[in-house]
Amino acid sequence: MRSLVYISVQLSVILLVAPLVNGIIGKVKALSQKRKGAPFLQMYFDILKLLKKNSVVSDTSSWVFKAAPYIFFSSATAAALLVPVSTTIMLQGLPGDAIMLISVFALGRFFMMAAALDTGSTFGGMGSSREAMISSLIEPSILVSIFTIGLICKSTSLPKIMIAMMGFGFPLANSVFILTFFALLIIIIAETSRIPVDDPSTHLELTMVHEAMLLEYSGRHLALMEYGAAVKQLVFITLLVNVLIPTDQLISIAGVGAVAISLVFYLIKVIFISLLIAVIEVNTVKYRVFSIPNLAALAFILAFIGFLQYFVFGGIYV
Amino acid sequence: MAINLASNLFQTSILLYILAAVLALVLIKRDKLCNIVSNIICIAAAVSGVAASIVKILFVSNTVNIDVYNSVIPFVSIDIKLDNLSAFFMLTLSVLVVCVSIYSIGYISQYIGKRNVGLFYFLYSTFILSMVLVFTSSNAMFFYMSWEAMSLLSYFLVIFESEQEENRKAGVLYIVMTHIATAFLLSGFMIIYHYTKSFDIFGSSAAIPEFAKNVVFIMFLIGFGTKAGIIPFHIWLPRAHPAAPSNVSALMSGIMIKTAIYGLLRFVLCYLGVESTWWGITILLIGIISAVLGVAYAFVESNIKKLLAYSSIENIGIIFIGLGVGFIAYAQNNYMVSALAISACLFHCFNHTLFKGSMFLSAGSIHYSTHTKNMDELGGLIKNMPVTALFVLCGALSISAIVPFNGFISEWLTYQSLFASIIYEQADINILSILAVAALAIAGALALASAVKLFGISFSGKPRSEHALDVKEVPCLMNIGTGILAALCLLVGLFPMLILKLIDGPVLSLTGTSIFEQLEGGFIIAYMPMSVSGNSISPLALIIALAAIIFIALLIIRVIGGKYIERKYGTWDCGFEALNSRMQYTATGFSKPIKIVFKIMFRPSREIHITGSQRYHPETIEYALSSESLIEKYFYDPFYEKITKYSRKIKYTIQTGNIRIYLLYIFLAIVILMAYIMFA
Amino acid sequence: MSDFSNTLSTLILLSAVLLMACKRTKSYIKSFRLQSFLIALAAGVMGTGNMLKDGQFELIVVCLITIILKVILIPNILIKTEAKVEHKVEKDFILNIPILVIICCVLIVFIYASISNIEGLNEGSVNLQMVNSISIILIGLLFMISRKKAIGQIIGFLVIENGLFVTAMFVTNGMPFVVDMGILIDLLTAVIIMGVMVFKINDKFDSINIDKLRNLKG
Repeated sequence: MRSLVYISVQLSVILLVAPLVNGIIGKVKALSQKRKGAPFLQMYFDILKLLKKNSVVSDTSSWVFKAAPYIFFSSATAAALLVPVSTTIMLQGLPGDAIMLISVFALGRFFMMAAALDTGSTFGGMGSSREAMISSLIEPSILVSIFTIGLICKSTSLPKIMIAMMGFGFPLANSVFILTFFALLIIIIAETSRIPVDDPSTHLELTMVHEAMLLEYSGRHLALMEYGAAVKQLVFITLLVNVLIPTDQLISIAGVGAVAISLVFYLIKVIFISLLIAVIEVNTVKYRVFSIPNLAALAFILAFIGFLQYFVFGGIYV
Repeated sequence: MAINLASNLFQTSILLYILAAVLALVLIKRDKLCNIVSNIICIAAAVSGVAASIVKILFVSNTVNIDVYNSVIPFVSIDIKLDNLSAFFMLTLSVLVVCVSIYSIGYISQYIGKRNVGLFYFLYSTFILSMVLVFTSSNAMFFYMSWEAMSLLSYFLVIFESEQEENRKAGVLYIVMTHIATAFLLSGFMIIYHYTKSFDIFGSSAAIPEFAKNVVFIMFLIGFGTKAGIIPFHIWLPRAHPAAPSNVSALMSGIMIKTAIYGLLRFVLCYLGVESTWWGITILLIGIISAVLGVAYAFVESNIKKLLAYSSIENIGIIFIGLGVGFIAYAQNNYMVSALAISACLFHCFNHTLFKGSMFLSAGSIHYSTHTKNMDELGGLIKNMPVTALFVLCGALSISAIVPFNGFISEWLTYQSLFASIIYEQADINILSILAVAALAIAGALALASAVKLFGISFSGKPRSEHALDVKEVPCLMNIGTGILAALCLLVGLFPMLILKLIDGPVLSLTGTSIFEQLEGGFIIAYMPMSVSGNSISPLALIIALAAIIFIALLIIRVIGGKYIERKYGTWDCGFEALNSRMQYTATGFSKPIKIVFKIMFRPSREIHITGSQRYHPETIEYALSSESLIEKYFYDPFYEKITKYSRKIKYTIQTGNIRIYLLYIFLAIVILMAYIMFA
Repeated sequence: MSDFSNTLSTLILLSAVLLMACKRTKSYIKSFRLQSFLIALAAGVMGTGNMLKDGQFELIVVCLITIILKVILIPNILIKTEAKVEHKVEKDFILNIPILVIICCVLIVFIYASISNIEGLNEGSVNLQMVNSISIILIGLLFMISRKKAIGQIIGFLVIENGLFVTAMFVTNGMPFVVDMGILIDLLTAVIIMGVMVFKINDKFDSINIDKLRNLKG
């Protein structure tokens, strides 16, 4: 019974906050260009509008095209069940650890790429092939960072990692965690298709990766894909903030009040990271597709040096 | 009681294989009957093999002895013993043979009347029998003989379609490399015999000194490694596996390369006993290189079977990573981690057999319907072959290690064994372990990309050539064979505890620790590392969660959005209106970004020929893209050139054609032998 | 406090790797500026600690001079030099960036492996900072090898000097004051002379690609 309450709190927080991140990023970008920009809640309105529209489906496509949005959205939401938004509501419902999280995202990515190829259009193939390149270059960094943090906390299960990290006080003062923070930041930018890896607001073939795979979708399918991408982005941000910037050890009361305060802290941290991503988006340009390996190499070496600092150079942080 | 049951079932299995071979020869003129009868007997043999293995592992704790024949020839005695490790590999083999035999009834029907089906089934049954004997022989010489028989029979099966030039070349390369490997194995066995004076595999290796053990390890690594297809000894694999008929490819890729893993486990871990860590470190390093390079080469292939062959190299790399970690931990007396790593290795062997077998059988189905293996000529098959497409999708999801299919479980176990081995702090091994993690990650991502490419380009979109137009679904039996394997992939992924119980048998006898007791629950798999608490995963809970979320999403969307109205129209074409199938992405185009990113490895080169009077209005443009294989260019080709050069020189100096010179050679040989007796 | 110095030494190593991953001249001059700023920060923190403990204020003086010289003056000189020189759009480095970054990584592991055999240097904190600092020296040398433009050589030389300074500072709490001052003044002179040389090279060859210096042979 209790786990049902926890699951519903977790899911509602993530599902409700996910479009807000996109709203914040859009607003910051607009303000920096001296425009007023869309309102913060624009994405909610967009999704509701899309749900009510009809779909146009290509006659070249098959059931994979229609099933993919549902599978992608449900994989992103199931991933949301694995990363707690607050350590005060520990989930017992879905056992899974960080490696399973990566695999759940891989499920969504597989169907997105397969559906893009399903329509027989050139844009879809292009998006899939670029996505293949970017994701294979980024994966080693994700796993090395997760392993480094997991090895320090002696577990790969995310709730346990978060609880162990609370014992560090302010982890970002340690050299290992600062490196992992920057590596995870680059990984978030790559996985959620932000500038400098991919431009989420244009539909030019020069700059599309994620959008190219969504090009054929319309109506409720498009709503599910966009919402799924927003949920995936929020899950990554949750992973970053709750593991590397733990705040739950500052709460001294218990019960429902603790949950509320913890969620407020979580929101503040999410807004902070959204602002950081928006600032990065405003200040950089989209890289050439074949300069993305440079970024991926940088992320890998950050994660690797982080690992070296702890395990090889001297285990002074037990 | 149980031991008799196991022994009887096992003997039945062997006898049925012999019966199938004999009947194939008897019915050599009547193709249709031969087809059905041989396959049914093979299925029966395999089913009793499955039963024998399961009974052995679960119920019998001693080794099952079948002492068939002690011959007069001094070193050869046909000793067949079935212990836990052999039983596990027998299980893998038998499961695959059941499905491949069901498939073959339909597949070989395209050869009836055109080729010698009876000969094929004779070779097929004896090939499977030789593999059974490789797994269960307990005498080193008998093992060697079965190994040679296996190689020879698979050579004949590879060149079954011998009118194509490339098949013959592939066969020659295969037999030469496998024989060189077997020579290494023989030297290893000879060294063992020299010190222990016996060929018994289950004996003791205490009499062998340290340096001899190291030499024997290297021999076995090269010998078994070539059969497994590790880099740099892999060049026969991408040529031989596509050349064979698809059911034989499934057998070869599914189980024949696992005989090498069996050999390494049996001879190095069980018999020699791992004492030094450098053995494990070498295997781990080889595993890392094979995993990354194998999948990189797989991704750029457009031939379906070559892609699957390179993917087998990658999976052997992953198996070697598990094996290496197990050996390192064993040498450090850390039996818990070693048991975990070897369980991961064995589980991945089993999973790979299932999903690679299924994929090769599906590739055979595609070839049956469209008569081509080139992905650049396919497309749009999902409309006419929906069942095959579904099975390929299951196989593709398993290859990419996606929850809840079985590939994920064994990769998860490999990751956990690497995690556990890093906690045991040792600087150089730690660096290698984290590099192994990075290699597994990049191999996993590239494998996902290759799987999407295979599924997407072959089945989705519009047909790219006439081969893919008007295809029909394959016969029902072929689909049943493939379907059983695909269903097993999903089932093993959802309920891994069943297979882990079976794996626990061999791991217990190899390392003395049982992993199964540490894992809890029937539906949840949990692992307890040494320090704090458990990391648990549950694929069944995930699939229930996914289904629930999809259901709730459908409900909410129905409420908000109303009934689902859809309008069919053409793919968006930017107003161009003449969108044809040549404008889709091809397999070559799909892998171009990775080719450019890793251009140091692939060395792509392109040629463009433009004809036409003006530069901006050409009449025709010809574009050719090629990449060279580094390992062949720098490792094998110089070797090959030197050998042919010296052979030519020797041929002209020694073989002069003059009879008197030959008689002189015989005379000199006798004189030298006499001198040896005089001085020795 | 030792936590903080560990983090700072890691961040300095990070800025060295970032330097390696830069493609354009202006970006690596900016990275160099960041690195010098971090070094000055570390010197300032250690100097304050020293002053509160023993009353020695040498490190603080060095910190201030580093800020003036390496964070403000020298990068400005280099940017001005670079702006006046002929701009050719050509690839500035050998191989490509991901491989250079991976070579940096291999270097760090290699330095760890060789230092860990020296007695007395392999306890905990000292080991970590030793490896980080010496890696910066070798990464600076690698930078000099891998860049073709003359400005790259200058920056590489400066990074080597940075590395030496950081090694001395973290491991032995600073070199003697006179030595520090001498090195810093030498550095300023060297950079001014190298800047003038860059103009001369540009005059003669119409480019500052040092591969062209081979034309001077024979």
